[in-house]
Amino acid sequence: MIPILGLAAGVLLGLLFDPTVPLWLQPYLPIAVVAALDAVFGGFRARLDGIFDAKVFVISFVSNVVVAGLIVFLGDQLGVGAQLSTAVVVVLGIRIFGNAAAIRRHVFRA
Amino acid sequence: MTAPPRGGAPRSLGASLLDAVLAETLDPAYAQAAEARATGRTPARQRWRGRALVALTMVIAGLLVSVTYDTAAAGAEGREQVREALISDIDRESSASDDLEGQLEALSDEVTSTRDDLLAHSTVGQRALDELARAEEGSAAVPVTGPGLLVTLANADPKADEDPVGGATEEDPRGRVRDGDLQLVVNALWAAGAEAVSINGQRLGPLTAIRFAGEAVLVDFRPVTNPYEISAIGDPDTLAGTFLGSPEVNALAVISDTYGLRFDYSRKDELTLPAATTPELRIAEPEAPAGGAPATDPTPGG
Repeated sequence: MIPILGLAAGVLLGLLFDPTVPLWLQPYLPIAVVAALDAVFGGFRARLDGIFDAKVFVISFVSNVVVAGLIVFLGDQLGVGAQLSTAVVVVLGIRIFGNAAAIRRHVFRA
Repeated sequence: MTAPPRGGAPRSLGASLLDAVLAETLDPAYAQAAEARATGRTPARQRWRGRALVALTMVIAGLLVSVTYDTAAAGAEGREQVREALISDIDRESSASDDLEGQLEALSDEVTSTRDDLLAHSTVGQRALDELARAEEGSAAVPVTGPGLLVTLANADPKADEDPVGGATEEDPRGRVRDGDLQLVVNALWAAGAEAVSINGQRLGPLTAIRFAGEAVLVDFRPVTNPYEISAIGDPDTLAGTFLGSPEVNALAVISDTYGLRFDYSRKDELTLPAATTPELRIAEPEAPAGGAPATDPTPGG
């Protein structure tokens, strides 16, 4: 319950205070969101599996976001930023789908 | 997720990579941590710290999502604003340009009438004036009225059986009038002895270009739209006869028929063509001491 409240509080904070993001960081926001979603779905599934661990969740969240951003940054420097973004989105997207399917099996038993 | 292949053939690296991606959707660290936890108990204080950390992480995740959404929305909004600003800029500047053109026209009218007054007093001036009138007629600097031929070219009508709601069917580009078609018609009209030609009220001078820019046909750098009405002044019968006899026009008629373009012509007793855009003064020479006419030969601006 607390994590969901935290998520809602974060969304509200972002909408209310409307923080400005430095321009150089803006291209990495969407990819960071996808990486964060992957970590969140993974954590939720682990919780349903009964093996949730706070340390693993926090570390996987931070490293996911940072690594995804770094990969895209590196790609931008090498001139293949768009392709690497696609690669990151595909891989994380597959994981999100897999975890969502596992969550669905837990919740609906189907 | 996928069954291991039978026969034990070595699997390619790509396949195993895909398998790993598809099968390992959950971070294995969770399982390891759970195993480690099963051996010993974690103290309550550490559990609370973990919960606080998770809540904080979720706050960050929520912030990330809303900020990204805001940024994307602001970008779209900004583009829309920039677009509107550009459109209003274009409108303002083109009305300013229209104003200036009107001013220029009034002023050059004034110059013309003053010049005519001054030149009309002497025989040399009179001769120069006659010469100038001929030159102006040739360079489309004066409006003309007379009998002639009106040729209409129009894009193909959208097919009646096409569903307008579906919107998936794209207009056939071959059903559109191109700059080349207009050029062909205009050239054929000149060849048939037309004295003056205009397209949708845009008079063609010696330097007027008919071009394509994107989807629009530009005549003298001003857009003209479908349907295209080409008026030519000259003897209607000769014009029509020679115009229709030229092989290019016949070819165009066949093409128009094939792709559904409209291609009509009619004889008119009276057509009025405006002057072409105000000519720029390009060459001027000082009056010769012997009393030669000042060579203010205006050429239409391009």
